Amino acid sequence: MAETILIVEDSTLVTDALAILFGEAGYTVHSARTVAGATDLGKEQHIDLMLLDVSLPDGSGLDVLDALRRDDRLPRVTLAMTGHTDPGMRRDCLAAGCTDVLVKPVPIRDLLRQIKRLLA
Amino acid sequence: MTMAEGLDPVALRKRLAALEAQAEEAREIIDELKSRDALKTQFLSNISHDLRTPLAAIITHAEILREGMLGDLNPRQHQSVSGIVNGGQQLIDMIDEILTYVRSASDQVSLIRNQFSIIEVVDQVKLLNEALSAKKRLTIERLNGDDIPPVYADRDKLKHVLGNLIGNAIKFTPDGGHIWIQFARRGADGDELLVEVGDTGQGISRDHYELVFREFAQVDSSPSRPHHGTGLGLAIARKLVELHSGRIWVESELGKGSRFFFTLPLNPPRD
Repeated sequence: MAETILIVEDSTLVTDALAILFGEAGYTVHSARTVAGATDLGKEQHIDLMLLDVSLPDGSGLDVLDALRRDDRLPRVTLAMTGHTDPGMRRDCLAAGCTDVLVKPVPIRDLLRQIKRLLA
Repeated sequence: MTMAEGLDPVALRKRLAALEAQAEEAREIIDELKSRDALKTQFLSNISHDLRTPLAAIITHAEILREGMLGDLNPRQHQSVSGIVNGGQQLIDMIDEILTYVRSASDQVSLIRNQFSIIEVVDQVKLLNEALSAKKRLTIERLNGDDIPPVYADRDKLKHVLGNLIGNAIKFTPDGGHIWIQFARRGADGDELLVEVGDTGQGISRDHYELVFREFAQVDSSPSRPHHGTGLGLAIARKLVELHSGRIWVESELGKGSRFFFTLPLNPPRD
C-alpha cells in the first residue's frame, strides 16, 4: 500500500504543488490548512510522514505534534517547513520532535530523496 | 547678545525655555522617525514573507515539470522551464537578503558563537562560487592563512559576510580577472584578525567608500545599471561584522580594483 503524507500548510498554492509532487511520486496525499484540521486528520488517518508548516492561521504548527502525541497518533516522521532559517526556530522544531527543518522551497529532488530514506 | 543681556536672568530664562522647546521638538521628530522606520521594517518583513510563499509554489511546480514528472520535455521546453526555476531561485535569494537585513536592522539577530576554522569557511565559499567564477574565467585564490588559529564566532554569519564580499568581487570583476583572500594578524598581541577580499575589478571612487555600505544604496542606481541587486549586501555584511565587534571598510581606486577588509577579534569574551 502507498505510504501516506500529510501536508500541513496554510497556502493552497504550496499545498497544490506539493500534492502533485507526492502524488506523482506514488504517495497518498492528504492536506490540512490549520492546526485544528491537521489534528483531526492525524487522528482519523494513518499518516507515515507529516510535512508541517510552523506558522498556521490558528497557531503554531508544533501544536499539532503535541495534540497527536497526547492521542498516541504521531506520524512515523515529521518534517517541519519554514520560510526562513532561524536557529531558534530550528531548535524548537527539533525539540518538539521534528526529524528535520526544511526551508521552503525545498529542491524537489532532495525532498523526495530524504522522504524515501526516512520512510525506508 | 551683549554681556549685560547674557547675565539678565529674565533673558536667560527665556533663552532656556526656547532651548527646551527646541529639544522637545527634536525629541518628537526623533520618535516620529523611529516609528516610521519601524513601520518600514515591518512592511519589508511582511512583504518578503508574502512574496516568498507564492514564489516557493512557482518554483516547485516548475521543478516538477523540469524533472519530467508530468511527462517528458523536449530540450527547448526543458531549457525554458529551467529558466523559471533559476529566475525564481534568484528572486528567493533577493527576498532572503531583505529578510536578513530586516532582522539585523531591528536587532533580531544574535550571534551563536562556536570555535571553527575561518580558512575552512573561506574554502567552502570559494567552492560554492566555482561555477560562477568559471563562467567569467576568474581566478579566486586564498593567498595564506594555514597558520591562522581557530576563531570564536558565528560561523553562518561570517560565511554570509565572506559569501557577500566574494560574490560582489565576482560580480564587479570583468572576465579573466583575479580575486584573492588573505589574512593578517594585527594588534599588540596579534589578537585581531584582518581579512582581505581583493579583486582586479572596476573599483570604487573615494567618494563612494561610505555609500557602498549604506542600505539600498548602489553606486550606479540607474534602471539601466549593469549589476542588479537589493543594495543590501554590504549593509548586512557591516551589521554582521559589527555584531562581532569588528570593523569593515574598503580601499579602492576607480579602474584599479577594490580591497575590502574586515577585522575580527581573535579572543572575544566567551559567553
